[in-house]
Amino acid sequence: MNILDIRNLSIEIETSNGPVRVIDKLSLQLAEGEIHTLIGESGSGKSLLAKAILGFINPRWKITADRLWWRQYDLLALSRAQRRQITGRDMAMIFQNPGTYLDPNSTVGEQLRESIPSHDLPGNILTRRKQIQKRAEELMHRVGIKDHDAILESYPFELSDGVAQKISIAMAIAHRPKLLIADEPTTAMEPNMRSQIYRLLAKLSAGDGMSILMITQDLTAVIPESKRISLVYCGQLMETGPTEDVMREPVQPYTGAMLSTSLFSSETKPKSRLPTLTGAIPTLQHMPIGCRLGPRCPNARRACIEQPPLRSYKKHEFACHYPLIEVDSHD
Amino acid sequence: MTKVLEVVDISKYYIHKTGWLPGKKICALEPISFSLERGETLAIMGETGSGKSTIAKLIAGAEVPSQGDIFLNGQRLDPHNYRQRCQHIRMIFQDALRSLNPETSVGAQLAEPLHFNTDWDQEKKTSHVVETLRKVGLLPDHYNFYPHMLSSGQQQRVCIARAIILEPQIIVADEAFVALDPSIRAQIINLMLDLQQDMGISFIFVTHSAEIVKHIADKILIMHHGRLIEFGTTEALIKNPQQELTKNLLHAESKHNVLTHSTIQE
Ligand SMILES: Nc1ncnc2c1ncn2[C@@H]1O[C@H](COP(=O)(O)OP(=O)(O)OP(=O)(O)O)[C@@H](O)[C@H]1O
Ligand SMILES: Nc1ncnc2c1ncn2[C@@H]1O[C@H](COP(=O)(O)OP(=O)(O)O)[C@@H](O)[C@H]1O
Ligand code: SF4
Ligand SMILES: [Mg+2]
Ligand SMILES: [Mg+2]
Repeated sequence: MNILDIRNLSIEIETSNGPVRVIDKLSLQLAEGEIHTLIGESGSGKSLLAKAILGFINPRWKITADRLWWRQYDLLALSRAQRRQITGRDMAMIFQNPGTYLDPNSTVGEQLRESIPSHDLPGNILTRRKQIQKRAEELMHRVGIKDHDAILESYPFELSDGVAQKISIAMAIAHRPKLLIADEPTTAMEPNMRSQIYRLLAKLSAGDGMSILMITQDLTAVIPESKRISLVYCGQLMETGPTEDVMREPVQPYTGAMLSTSLFSSETKPKSRLPTLTGAIPTLQHMPIGCRLGPRCPNARRACIEQPPLRSYKKHEFACHYPLIEVDSHD
Repeated sequence: MTKVLEVVDISKYYIHKTGWLPGKKICALEPISFSLERGETLAIMGETGSGKSTIAKLIAGAEVPSQGDIFLNGQRLDPHNYRQRCQHIRMIFQDALRSLNPETSVGAQLAEPLHFNTDWDQEKKTSHVVETLRKVGLLPDHYNFYPHMLSSGQQQRVCIARAIILEPQIIVADEAFVALDPSIRAQIINLMLDLQQDMGISFIFVTHSAEIVKHIADKILIMHHGRLIEFGTTEALIKNPQQELTKNLLHAESKHNVLTHSTIQE
């Protein structure tokens, strides 16, 4: 069952060159308890998609979708207040720089305790406070922090990036959300810390049945627990499907390029020139028409000035007129 | 082969002063020695705060060592003579945009080192700048661009152009790849490999990425708490690491990644 169902979501933003679809007919489904990794280079609209799901939207943006459903709710049909309520209850998000949104003036403990919902706790103020403290310590253990006393007493600037990110995860899961969106949570972190954070997220999802939308720039950050991935480029969905299938048999030229450019292939000879896309990522003001990969795509031909529809191949879906693999089209 | 660079017992202490108390001495780098040959690539790896950037800055002359000497082609570099050094050793930083001057056109920024280090006339300088732009995959048109008009990959190319314009013998890059998108990062790595082949530049770079290290480094230097704990060829350190940390740093990424899982890599 899909807990999150997005079909053909578009977000239009006003630029100096007129309105631009920053997100262009993007579809994404997330099942309960699933980890789904969204991969895209900068400007592909990853953070904007996260904001659209959470409802943190600028009223001037034009948002349209065939479907934007969270559980049984049609999010686009809800009022702002209703959406805020659902987001607050069911969803949470962590960001790239945890330091920037932790309050520098209060201790980690104060901030963590504040994020624990207290209204449904039994007892009087005193017993509640005890329960909250206990829950705070429990959350610290869950995110793998053992010396909780010291950390709870410290201020955010005293923490390393990794610990700060763990705290932000503890705060995010304090109200037991059903969906966690992790927006590039480990970019610029050292690899050891990076895998610790990813392992932690995977454990949380497995333990609580929490769904996680993992957002990253880079195929190298996809963890084995992420059973599905989607690749986006300049706001358009390029390919989506089960992680293993997509990686073993990429259909879309963008997926192919991202795979061969990430240095993990055992065939990469040291000092050889890496295969990669030519050219630069277009700016918002100069989006190509049709398939936005066009100017950088090795397979591009004239038909690519029309945006290709989403088609399926085995268990993946992809959007491309000239895929890497011959695909029967029965549509 | 000739040793382009020889680092002999350089170290770096910082004095942390708090109020009127006598300053506390912090050792960012204990004495280390190593050497580099022409056209060779050295990777510096280590955990946060281990002294990687300190080494980079000392070699590039952005900081003065507390002790020790650096030799370029056998000649001792005067730590206070920045001009002497900056012709031969150039540095590239992580944040390309911030290391460029926002108010000066790309062409003017590239021509600047030529004013100080050559007696060429304007025409010769301009044509050398245009030639260098071409070498890093930019166009003559970019001469009149300002940094903010360029993408992050193009900005990093300008930084590389500025680094190679005096045809240096050594380029030092501190995390110059992390902020780049994957497709652009590969373009920049290819560019560095090409330049190295064409110009015989030696290359010293700091990175966390084991994959990049394995791809381009000839030698690896592992730092831990300001100390060099392992130094050797890339092959030796991959096949036969002597330190647990070395093993960790060189295999960390693959540990938790689907791309390296056996099911995918047939
Ligand atoms: N200007 C300075 N003043 C005082 N201490 C400094 C200064 N520069 C560096 N240090 C200290 O020297 C040590 C080594 O720093 P360095 O910047 O070389 O680390 P690094 O290995 O580059 O770390 P990272 O991976 O975080 O970039 C650290 O403990 C740091 O706090
Ligand atoms: N509030 C905004 N107003 C105008 N443009 C925006 C805004 N937020 C994002 N954008 C633009 O939309 C594009 C996608 O942004 P974003 O979702 O942040 O990308 P990503 O997270 O994939 O790097 C970018 O070109 C960005 O400049
Ligand atoms: S539709 Fe055309 S431009 Fe887009 S990925 Fe396919 S071949 Fe390339
Ligand atoms: Mg983003
Ligand atoms: Mg550093």
